[in-house]
Amino acid sequence: MVRVLDRSFTARADAALANPTLKIAIERTAGTAERKRADAIGDFPQFGTACERGRRIKDHVTDNLGYYLQEFERNAIASGATVHWARTSEEACQIVIGICKAAGAKRVTRSKSMLGEEIGLPHALQAAGIERVETDLAEHIVQLADEAPSHIVWPAMHKTREDVAALFKKMHKTAPLSDDIPGLVASARRDLRAKFLSADVGISGANFLIADTGAVCTVTNEGNAELTTTPPRIHIVTAGIEKLVPSIDHAFVLLRLLVRSATGGDFTQYTTFHCGPKRRGDADGPEAFHIVLVDNGRTRMLAQGLKEMLRCIRCGACMNHCVVYRQIGGHAYGGTYPGPMGSVLTPALDGLAKSHDLPHACTLNGKCAEVCPVEIPLPTLLRGWRDRSWKEGLEPKTVRAGLGVWALMATRPALYRLATTMGVQVMRLFSRAGWIKWMPLTGGWTRYRNFPAPQRTTFIAAYKAQRKDTAR
Amino acid sequence: MTTPNSSRDVILSDIARALAQPVSNSDAIAAEARALIGDPDAARPALLDKSCVESFMARVAGPKVGATIDRIGTIGDLPAAVARFLAGSGNGRLVAIQPTFMLTGLDWHGSGIGLTDTIDDCVVVGLATWGIAETGSLVFHSASDMPVLYNFLGAVHIVAVHAGGIVAHLEDYAVAARIAGDPAPRNVCLITGASGTTDIEGSLVKGAHGPRHLHVILIGEAAGR
Repeated sequence: MVRVLDRSFTARADAALANPTLKIAIERTAGTAERKRADAIGDFPQFGTACERGRRIKDHVTDNLGYYLQEFERNAIASGATVHWARTSEEACQIVIGICKAAGAKRVTRSKSMLGEEIGLPHALQAAGIERVETDLAEHIVQLADEAPSHIVWPAMHKTREDVAALFKKMHKTAPLSDDIPGLVASARRDLRAKFLSADVGISGANFLIADTGAVCTVTNEGNAELTTTPPRIHIVTAGIEKLVPSIDHAFVLLRLLVRSATGGDFTQYTTFHCGPKRRGDADGPEAFHIVLVDNGRTRMLAQGLKEMLRCIRCGACMNHCVVYRQIGGHAYGGTYPGPMGSVLTPALDGLAKSHDLPHACTLNGKCAEVCPVEIPLPTLLRGWRDRSWKEGLEPKTVRAGLGVWALMATRPALYRLATTMGVQVMRLFSRAGWIKWMPLTGGWTRYRNFPAPQRTTFIAAYKAQRKDTAR
Repeated sequence: MTTPNSSRDVILSDIARALAQPVSNSDAIAAEARALIGDPDAARPALLDKSCVESFMARVAGPKVGATIDRIGTIGDLPAAVARFLAGSGNGRLVAIQPTFMLTGLDWHGSGIGLTDTIDDCVVVGLATWGIAETGSLVFHSASDMPVLYNFLGAVHIVAVHAGGIVAHLEDYAVAARIAGDPAPRNVCLITGASGTTDIEGSLVKGAHGPRHLHVILIGEAAGR
């Protein structure tokens, strides 16, 4: 699997834009998600109030995070679970690998968890020589393709059905009986069924941690979380410390928001609350239940003014509605989390020095904040990172020089007007029928789309002329 | 027990330092948490019908859940209803039933139905404890007579639920479960349709890993709570 923060964002975005099928694949899924979300919210007039309540619940938990973590820990232990705490991704992976090794585990099934991706668990399992079977269909696809997820809800959004058909033909023991989508789903079902039942350990994430019971909530439409966590001897949960809610009632408020915002459904097909290991008399279930509570930068985010980002419930609505994501897809962002929420999270998780260009991959059109079900002010947080990047001197020399020239002119009105007047005239030389197809120094734009030709005069000149007319 | 781990103390102290505010007492935190879920109607969708039971059935049969439905007078009518469904479905006459005495005691052979212990890719019949009208969800609590895998390994999932077990909203289920003295069962499963996926091009396909079809049978016509 390739994590690509070592290449520049521009290089990654260029590669994405040059991919002839990527945009088709993104549009097919993100376009549907956008329409279905709008319909689901149209049927839920109380959505605005629910969002406000969701935001307040998340803020209440963050304001009392230490209290709720300890309450959850107490109740989880009472249910028979073992609770582990990990400050870093390395520590979290070591804990998981340690449990697997102590149990002599050879095969591990894993239900999709973005936290697992964030801490690098797939790689850590591989390095430890433990066979990993991804059970979510999309994660199964990206595992077979040896790629990273490109979306937090639809990890294989970048793949067309044609791509998946070719992949399954090559990788499944029995090739799909047909190339249509039902045929491909049936092929994955066949391939994964035996693996579910023969795993030693099942690993899941958590959509919510319920403080007053110690239960862990997972949501799936496929039912793969329960098939991952029930047959094996051991269930390991890896969860970020921000996943807490006070009670199941609070989880229900957030579940109404999560599902509508993610897929446009009203409720996931399978919403399960797992609470400890198998009890006396239980017909099935794991003998041991481990919960790894992971910080990995979350307390740092709290200290560094990113408290609002800890509200995120990982619905993916911000990326489905982002004009930039819809053009370049998730891999171009380079981190675990793509889109607007990823551009806020990646600098916090991987460091601003490696990812300072991500907060710039944004038009600040505000659509992400508009659709966020827990009212995260994403554009404001992105601007905060831009500001820090500037102050820390991380912006390239060309950008700093360019802004310096602009500042020089902007603080000298006569020079500014002269430069813009000349600029308009030069641009008009390259205009044809209202559009510029090519112009020196603008290849970054005109390679992918035409540039609109400017008006005949500058704004200031038009404004002055209008005032003169009015005065007459 | 907690694994001895100083990371716990570091994380908790980092949180306390980052928040830089006095920690509220537990009563104040609990009161604030309760206030956040007060007046639940303001933040949840209205039911489809005045009757809980009718809302539930409409939701279950609607496009979002996509199940087929049937109604019977008493649980004794269940084998005949299952036989009726099987006759039209092309799934044979063999079913695996959830090992609860409420189902095992019924006369299945009298309706021409054979029983099997194999649940893998078979027709599975279960009895949900509650139904939720808001979402069309069926609720199962794991127990000795409710194996979790019965809900996930079958090819067709037939679920019976008593009309008296239908509650209006998700929160009403939480209240009902607490009253039933079952505050935190090991595994609570809210099932709201057949196993589905939209992972390839956003196109919905049923039968991803679990059941391809859900058939819901309502028992009795008593008004829902």
